[in-house]
Amino acid sequence: MDKSITQLPNFRPNKKPAKKTVKEVIYHVVGIILSLIFLFPIIYMLATSTKSETAYAESLGSLQMFLPDFANIGTMFENYKSVLVNYDIWKYALNSFLYAAIVIVLNVLVNGLAGYVMAKLRFPGKRLLSFLIIFLIVVPVETSIIPLYSIVKIMLGLKQEMSVIGVILPAAISIFNVFLFTQFFEGVPKEYEEAARIDGATTMGVFLKVIMPLSKPIIATVAVFCFIGVWNDYLWPSMILPAANDGSWPLLPIQTALISIQGMEGITTGEIMASLIITSIPIFIIYVAAQKYIVQGFGTAGLKM
Amino acid sequence: MLTTTLIILAVFIIAFLGFVVYDLATAKKRKEVYRVKSTLTAYLMLLPAVILAFLFIMLPILYSLGYAFTDYYLLKPNDINFIWFQNFVDFFKELATKGTLYNAIKNTLIFVVGVVPLQIGLALLLALFVNRPGFGSKIFKVCFFAPVVISLSVTSFLWLQILAPGEGGLLNALLGVFGIPPHDWLRDPKTAMPCIIILSAWQGCGYQMLIFLSGLSNIRKELYEAASLDGANWWRKFWLVTWPGLRSTFVYIIITVFIGACRILTQPMLMTGYQDQTVTLSYYMYQQGYTYRWVGYSSAVALLMTIFIGGITLIQRRVFREK
Amino acid sequence: MKKLLASIIAMILAIVAAFGMIACGGPSGDPDIDEDGNTVIKIMFHVDKTSVEGQAYLKRVNAFNLAHKEEKIKAQAIFKARTTGASGYETELINNQIEGTLADIVTFDAPNTAAYAKSGLFYDLSSLVSASEQEKFYSLNKYDGKLYGLPIQESSAGFFYNKKIFRAAGIYDMVQGYTAENPWTFDQFKEVCSRLKTHGTIPVDMRIDATKDEMAPYLLYPFIYAAGGSFTDATGYVATGYYNSAATKSGFQFIKDLIGAGYTSYAIGATDFFTEKVGMYLSSGWTIPDLDNKYRENFASRDDWGLLPYPKGTVAASATGSWSYAITNNHHPDKTNVIKLLNWMTSAESSKAITDATGMIPVRKDVNHGYAVGSPEYTLLKQLELTGKERPVTVAYPVFSTTFNQVIAGLGDGNLDTLLSTATTTLQNEMNRLQNMRG
Repeated sequence: MDKSITQLPNFRPNKKPAKKTVKEVIYHVVGIILSLIFLFPIIYMLATSTKSETAYAESLGSLQMFLPDFANIGTMFENYKSVLVNYDIWKYALNSFLYAAIVIVLNVLVNGLAGYVMAKLRFPGKRLLSFLIIFLIVVPVETSIIPLYSIVKIMLGLKQEMSVIGVILPAAISIFNVFLFTQFFEGVPKEYEEAARIDGATTMGVFLKVIMPLSKPIIATVAVFCFIGVWNDYLWPSMILPAANDGSWPLLPIQTALISIQGMEGITTGEIMASLIITSIPIFIIYVAAQKYIVQGFGTAGLKM
Repeated sequence: MLTTTLIILAVFIIAFLGFVVYDLATAKKRKEVYRVKSTLTAYLMLLPAVILAFLFIMLPILYSLGYAFTDYYLLKPNDINFIWFQNFVDFFKELATKGTLYNAIKNTLIFVVGVVPLQIGLALLLALFVNRPGFGSKIFKVCFFAPVVISLSVTSFLWLQILAPGEGGLLNALLGVFGIPPHDWLRDPKTAMPCIIILSAWQGCGYQMLIFLSGLSNIRKELYEAASLDGANWWRKFWLVTWPGLRSTFVYIIITVFIGACRILTQPMLMTGYQDQTVTLSYYMYQQGYTYRWVGYSSAVALLMTIFIGGITLIQRRVFREK
Repeated sequence: MKKLLASIIAMILAIVAAFGMIACGGPSGDPDIDEDGNTVIKIMFHVDKTSVEGQAYLKRVNAFNLAHKEEKIKAQAIFKARTTGASGYETELINNQIEGTLADIVTFDAPNTAAYAKSGLFYDLSSLVSASEQEKFYSLNKYDGKLYGLPIQESSAGFFYNKKIFRAAGIYDMVQGYTAENPWTFDQFKEVCSRLKTHGTIPVDMRIDATKDEMAPYLLYPFIYAAGGSFTDATGYVATGYYNSAATKSGFQFIKDLIGAGYTSYAIGATDFFTEKVGMYLSSGWTIPDLDNKYRENFASRDDWGLLPYPKGTVAASATGSWSYAITNNHHPDKTNVIKLLNWMTSAESSKAITDATGMIPVRKDVNHGYAVGSPEYTLLKQLELTGKERPVTVAYPVFSTTFNQVIAGLGDGNLDTLLSTATTTLQNEMNRLQNMRG
C-alpha cells in the first residue's frame, strides 16, 4: 500500500516559539483530560478486577476506586484465577479462537475468489451479479434472525453438535468483503498476471501465486474484521448451539460464557470485571497489531460505496 | 421448506440464465468477447460464494419477506398459512395501544437522534484533535480508541456496574462525593436512554475517529498551504479545505452509524431486560419472534423497519452526496 | 494449483451435500436400541451433572437401570445446564423440538405447561397416571383439563430473616407467633418493617430488582392473590377485568407502599442480606443450603436466621410451582417404557431422595419428610399445603411474565393504574392472538 495513507498531514506550526510552547502545553493538558474521560471506565474495570467484594465496597467514594488493591498484593489475581478455573472460561475462549480461525480461512478463500472473478474475468451474467452485490450493500435489509434460524435448523437440519456448522458457514460469506476484494483486485496492474500467464499458469494458479501474495493488506483487513465479528457475536451462537452435556467440552463461544457468568449466583463485582477483561484481551491485541490494516480497509474501498 | 427453497433456486437459475443469454446476444453490440474456458473458470470460482450467499443471505431475506404475510409460529414449522396483511394490521393496532411497541419505536428514535450526532461529532472533533504530529497525539489516539476494543456486551456489563443504583454504583459513588443523592439511572425513564446513548457513543466514536483520520490523510497538503497563503484562519481552512475533503467519508459514516443505531439491541437486552424505558425496535422483534415465537409478525415488523431505514438512507444519500 | 481449487470446491460441495443428507434423513419412528439390545429412554434435566441436584437425579436413573436390567430397558440421563438460567434451557427445548431430537422425558418449569402443551410438545398423561396416583401430589401440571406433567419437587418461598437483627430491634419474640398455620397480616408485616427501619436497618429485600427473568414474578405474585386479586380467568384466555381489577391493584399497591415508605428498594445488592445489611430477604427454599453452608461467618447456625411465611391480606397465598417432568410427543410413539421411567422418577422413594439433596419440598403427600415443627422446611411445607397457589395457567405465560416484570419495575415512580392497564391490554392481545391461532 502506498505510504501516504498512514502518514498524517501536518498543520503548519506557529512561528513564535513562546506562543508555541503555551499552545503545546494547553494541547497536552486538554488531551490528558479527554483521555481520562475516555479511560476512566476502563481504569475502574482494571482496578476493580483486583479487589475482593469487601475491598471493592470500601473503595467506593474514594480515589481507591481507580487504584488496584495494592494492600493485598498477594491476592490481586484471585478473581482471574477464580474466573478461569471455576467457570472454565478458557474453554469457551478456545472455541471462539477455533471458530474465528476457520471463518477467516473460509471467508478469505470464498470472498477472495469471488472478488477476483468480479474484478478480472469476463463472463456472461456478470452485470447481474455486480448489480446484486451493490444492491445488497446499499439496501440495509432488516431480517429478523428467525428466517436464518429456520434455514439452519429446519431446512439444513443442523442439530446438536452439527449446529457448529451453522455458526461458521453464515460467517464465511460477506458481500461487503467480496466488494472489498473486487475493489482491491481492480487496482492490481494487468502486467503481473500477464507475466504469469506467459509462463503457462492457469487462472487459479495466477490467483494463488500472483494475486494472493500481493493482497496481504486486504487479507489482513478482512481477517481482522472476521475475527472481531466472530469473537463479539453472542446472540446467534446462543440461539442455535446446544448446551454442553454433563461436563463434556462446551460448544458455546466466549461471549455467551461471559453472559452466563454475569448471571451466576454469588459472583462478585471483581470477578465480573476480571471476566470482562479476559474477554477483551484478544481483541485488544488484534487491534494493536492490525490498526494499520483497519484504517487501510477504509482507505481502499470502504469509502467508495 | 425444502420445496419452497428449490422453487426459489429454480427461479434464480432461470433468471440468471436469462441474463446470460441476454449478455451473449448483446455481446457484439457492447464489443465484449466471452471465451468458453474463461467463463467456465469464472463460474467455478464463484460457486462457493454463490452457494453460501444464496443460503445465508438471499434466502433469509426472501423468507423474511414471505413470512411477513403468514402466521408462522416458531413451534409449528409445518403449519404455515398465508394471512396476508393481518400482521401489519396487528402492528398498527398494537401501536395504537401505546404499549411496548410504541415505546420501542420511541426509544429507537430517541437513540438514533441522540447517538448519531453525538457519536459522529465526537469522532470528528477527536480526529481533528489528534491529527497532528508528535508523541502526545499518538498516545491520545490510542486512549480514544481503547473503548472500541471492548465489545458491546462487555461495555454493557461494565456500564451496568458503573450505573448500578444505590451507593454501590461507581457513578453514584462519584456524585456522592459532591453530596448528590444516588439515582437509579437505568430504571428512570428520563435517564435510561440518555445513559445508553452516552455509553454507546463512548464505546463507538473511536472507530469513526479512525475513519475520519483516514479521510483526513487523503486531503492534499498543498490545499492547506494555498489556504495559508491566502491568509485563512483555522476555521476558514476547516470550511474551505477539511470539510469538503471529508465529504465522502462523512456520507459513509453517517449512513453506517445511522443503520447501526437503528439496530440497537445488545445494550437494553443485557442491561435492563425487556422494560418499557429502554426497549428498542430490534429487541421488540427478537422478543416477538423468538421469545413469544410469532415469526410471521416479527418478520412483518422487520419489513416495515427495512422500508423505514432504507428510505432514510436514500434521503441521506441524496442530501449529502456531492453534486 | 488446479488440484487445490478442485479440493476447495469439493470441500464446500461436500459440506452442502452433507446438509442435504441430514435434511432428508429425518428421525425414524423406532425406539433407540443400544449395542446390548436395550431399549434406550432418554431423559433430559435442566441442571449440571456435577451439582448436588444432578447427582441425585443420576442416582435415581442408575437405580432404575439396575431394577429394569431384566426387561432390557435402559434410561439415559442428559444434563443440559444452561448456566444462563431457565430461559437458556428453554432455548434448548425449542431447538430440540425443531430439530426433532427431543428426549422422551424432559424437565420444564411449571408455568410453561400451557404454552408447551398447546404447541404440541407434550404428551397427554391423563390416562397414563391413575386418579388415585394423581391424588398423592400436592400439585399437578394441568392445562385444558388434561394432565401434562408431574412435578419433580415443590418449592415455596418466604421471608428469611436475620435473628440477630430482629433481637436487637426487639421484635424477635413478636414474629415467633407468625407461622404458616397462622400467617401475619399485611399490617403486621408493615409494622415489622417500620421497627426495622427505626432500628437503622434496611427492612426487606423484596427482589423487586430481579425483573430480567422469572424471579420477580415467582416471588411476588402471591401478594396479588393475598390481596384478593387475580390475573386471568380459569380458561387463561381472559385478562381484562382480572389483571386490572381493584383487588389486583391493591396487591401491587401494597408493594408500592413498601417502596414508598422506604422499607425496600431497587438498589438493594444481591448479597446484602447475607452480609447483614438487610433484615429480611424474600427467597425460595434454595436459599436454605446457602445459609447453612456458604455464609458461616455471618450465620453460624440456625439460631442466627429463620423463615417467616408470606403475609396475608384478605386471604393467605404463597408461591408454589417448581420444575416438573413431562413426556414429550417425540418420534417415539410407544410410551409404555417411558411411563415406567416417569413413575420411577416421581415415586415416593425418588421424591425423598431428590428433595433430601436439594433442600426443596417433596411433591408427594405420602413422603415422610421428617421436618421438625417450626423449622424453615416445615414452614415451607405447611405453607404449601395450606396456602399454596400456582401462577396463572395460560398459554400466554411468557407475555404474562414480561408484563408482570414491567409492572414491578415501574412501581417505584410509575402510575399504577397506567401500568396495570397497559399490562392488561398487552396480555389480552396476546391471549386473543393465541386463541385465534389455528390448530
